[in-house]
Amino acid sequence: MRIDKTHQSWAVVSAIILGVAILLYFPYAVLYPGGPSGNTWPGLIYGIIGYAMMLFAGLMGARKRVPLWRVGRAQVWMRGHLWLGALSLPILLLHSAFTARGPLTILLMTLLVITVLSGITGALLQHFLPKRLTASVQLETIYEQIPEVREQLLSEAGGIVEALCAVPEAESAVVAAGAAFGAGGPAADEDAGPELTDDQRANLQQVYKHEIFPFLLNPEKSGSPLADVVRSKAFFEALRRQSPVSIHEALGDLESICEEERQLIEQRRKYLLLHGWLLVHVPLSITLLVLGGIHALVAIHY
Amino acid sequence: MKTIELTIDDKPVVVEEGTSVFDAARMSGISIPVLCHAQNERPIGVCRVCTVDCGDKVLQASCVRPAENGMKVFTASDKVKKHRKMVLELLMSDHPSPCARQRVSGDCELETQAAAEGIVTPRFSKRVSPRGQDDSSLVISVDHEACILCDRCIRGCDEIRQNHVLGRRGKGYNAGISFDLNRPMGNSSCVSCGECMVSCPTGALTNKSIIRTVLPGGEPVGVEELKQLPFFQKVSGTFLELNKNAVIKRHFKKGEVICREGDYGSTAFYILEGQVDIFLASMSSKQAVAQEAPSLIEMFSNIFSPKKKPTSGSRTGSIPIDATVDLPLDNPVAQLGAGDIFGEMTCMSLYPRSATVRAKTDCVMLEMLRNVLDVIQRNKTLRAEIEKNYRKRALEDHLRTVPLFASLSPDFIEDLAHQVELVRYSRGEVLTRQGEQARNFFLVRIGFVKMVEDHAGGELVLAYQGKGGYFGEIGLINRGTYAFTVTALDNVEVVRIGVDAFNKMLERFPEIAASLRAVATEREAHNRRHSAAVSAMSLEKFLNQGLMEANSLLVIDLEKCTRCDQCVRACSDAHDGVTRLVREGLRFDKYLVPTSCRHCRDPLCMIGCPVGSIRRRNSLETVIEDWCVGCGLCARNCPFGNITMHELPGTTTQKAAVTKKKATACDLCQDLPEPSCVYACPHDAAKRVDPNDFFKEIIGAGTLKAPALDSGAHGGKR
Repeated sequence: MRIDKTHQSWAVVSAIILGVAILLYFPYAVLYPGGPSGNTWPGLIYGIIGYAMMLFAGLMGARKRVPLWRVGRAQVWMRGHLWLGALSLPILLLHSAFTARGPLTILLMTLLVITVLSGITGALLQHFLPKRLTASVQLETIYEQIPEVREQLLSEAGGIVEALCAVPEAESAVVAAGAAFGAGGPAADEDAGPELTDDQRANLQQVYKHEIFPFLLNPEKSGSPLADVVRSKAFFEALRRQSPVSIHEALGDLESICEEERQLIEQRRKYLLLHGWLLVHVPLSITLLVLGGIHALVAIHY
Repeated sequence: MKTIELTIDDKPVVVEEGTSVFDAARMSGISIPVLCHAQNERPIGVCRVCTVDCGDKVLQASCVRPAENGMKVFTASDKVKKHRKMVLELLMSDHPSPCARQRVSGDCELETQAAAEGIVTPRFSKRVSPRGQDDSSLVISVDHEACILCDRCIRGCDEIRQNHVLGRRGKGYNAGISFDLNRPMGNSSCVSCGECMVSCPTGALTNKSIIRTVLPGGEPVGVEELKQLPFFQKVSGTFLELNKNAVIKRHFKKGEVICREGDYGSTAFYILEGQVDIFLASMSSKQAVAQEAPSLIEMFSNIFSPKKKPTSGSRTGSIPIDATVDLPLDNPVAQLGAGDIFGEMTCMSLYPRSATVRAKTDCVMLEMLRNVLDVIQRNKTLRAEIEKNYRKRALEDHLRTVPLFASLSPDFIEDLAHQVELVRYSRGEVLTRQGEQARNFFLVRIGFVKMVEDHAGGELVLAYQGKGGYFGEIGLINRGTYAFTVTALDNVEVVRIGVDAFNKMLERFPEIAASLRAVATEREAHNRRHSAAVSAMSLEKFLNQGLMEANSLLVIDLEKCTRCDQCVRACSDAHDGVTRLVREGLRFDKYLVPTSCRHCRDPLCMIGCPVGSIRRRNSLETVIEDWCVGCGLCARNCPFGNITMHELPGTTTQKAAVTKKKATACDLCQDLPEPSCVYACPHDAAKRVDPNDFFKEIIGAGTLKAPALDSGAHGGKR
């Protein structure tokens, strides 16, 4: 979610909560007999509030699973998730009085820090990446459709090259007529197809076979000049110089196909970044909530 | 009269001199096949199917060959039969078989005759250059491919009806029939009398019968009864017969509401008996109208201008409504009586009703669908009648709604009334072209027009004008040529004032001349400023993507969207697992306009639904009701591809692979307070918006001013 002016009220409320919590902490730390800790009443209240915030943040996942439930707009939940989730860290630090005793507490504190940090990372990624993705990938498609689009691009490119390299019908007729009647045959129709010599045809087929086809077949594999905008441009410029003007338009189509393929690579890369951090954040959050619950039960019991 | 004797197929026949061989044969009970000749038309002998052997060197077309004394005619000799079969075979080689007529009623004359001659597949190749179809008329479907150039339609139009609309175009293989100077039929001066259609021997001209559904309630009206009414007297009986369910009679008790402002409808009303009150339903709406613009105009004014506060002198105008009268602003009530029509704009362009109509006395009305109204509006006699009524009753009010003309004296308006024309334009037609010599001043009566300035880099839309808007004065006053191109956005009707009447007005009313000059100068200056400031590319893209058509547009802010697809999931969950939203589409600025119904102002999808299942209820949502038969017409009509056909579960069986389909489109989750896609978006990226408001800043239209009701803006000052 983009953090913009619309988050102002959440930011202000969060700052007030944090400020009040810190302000209350000072007299509690100084005046409370035995000093601040998690097992005092004020410490317990900090703990309950902090865990409630974590719990609310964790419920975001459940909220997403049931998009139709009219339990508040999803964007309100998301804002709550971001701000209360982030706020839970300082509140729980106040709860623990900035110390961690015992392995469970240490583990919990470590998990909390990593979870919140991963969340902040995700928030930053979601703040900046969509804009970049929008700007750099003009030909964006639905992520799940990328394999199909790639297949289609490969097939289109193959079709173009096949059409370019096909021996025009009139030329075939000339050959056939030449074979039947000796050297003199009817003149080939000028509009019958691209005027490629055998060498040019062979060259184009080679280029397709060794550069374009492998790139389109396996675009993620690095090393192809077509994976890079500048090198791709130079590649096609060179190809145009070797080819008659009549096929430049078709070569332009091939270049566009490669460009679209590069955009798909870029889209995939950014999409994975945009969502990949969740692989860390979500399991850690669940673990944290479960262990936090156990910690609370154990603490209350003993 | 002198008589002659001849034999036809060895049968002696006596006929009057000058009788054609064809008629002589017919009178003696001998039938000669023919295509291009109809009994009520002048014979021209172009199809050569009626060829007979008269003993001449060559075979003769019997329809144009006069009978002669002592002539021996053979209508079915081997030579004649062989020739006739060849002609039919040649005609069939270019004929799409079965044609529309053969498919529907099985009476295509060409195909019937070809079948009788045993022609199944012609030996000759088909034409290589297709002539296409013309689907522009609401009433008649034109398939040029099926035309055999017999000219029966042309003679029907010119000689029988004397409308002189139909003619020929092109040469050789490209020859065909044309309307006016080769215009689409729907945009031509064709009055849809149906004569060409009944004259046509093939499926080239067929009745569309666009809406087969019967209007609910009311009582059916017979053709004879309709023909008794002056309003329908000039309408072709053939047409009325073919569309008999498209007009019904309704009775309303005193005080009963006939239609309500804001409702969406698709019919117009003609008052047979009684009187009705037309008014705006509530005080609040009166207030709103007084302060801002009427709802239809407001739709467009929202694109261009922030709402203006009323000025103290602004309450002297009137409220333009969808009827032959306008409503006075200070007391927005008017009456209509027998012979009046209302609801034309709603009917023709599917806009919401602009006022509430209530029966003042017990009333009898005819309610009609747009194909009927279209035919009526095209009829020259009825047009003249409508114009007369308009001049008599509404022109003065209409002119006075333009603040500049408020000071015109009644006698001048009376004089002017005889010099103005009411002219109709179809969607896309050009009213004035930039750079052309200015000859007229225009006042918009019905519909909306787009004013465009051409630039080297493309065109720039300057404004939209609705009812009450005016244009043309810059050309007439300052330049001599029109300053911009004006195009009809829908079915538009304008009052056209010629240059002579306009100049006379300026001479007689110098204060109006001065005001108009000031307005023209200010408009020109404003246009220049605007041209320099506005991002033409954005605006062009906005228009090209048809975004201004949308009532409610789903947009996704791509700079906020994380591509999580929660919107699609929510849509799918809300609609039994079938999503009505595909997160793919064109981009406008940083927004994605995904594939999802836009609930267009002019919902083309609704045209032609055979069961009326795609419709508007009493709001702007376009809904597809459960009784959709899955014909897919709406999906094909939707210019944005936002209606999808999906298979209904459980309709495929092991025995028969028949699947039933249903059309689906976004219904804005009408049972919920907010569309699910928007509600479920966690990133505040998905929004349902009015594009004209939402994109106002991006398209640079914030500085534009559309027609509003208050004195300064009424008339579309930009």
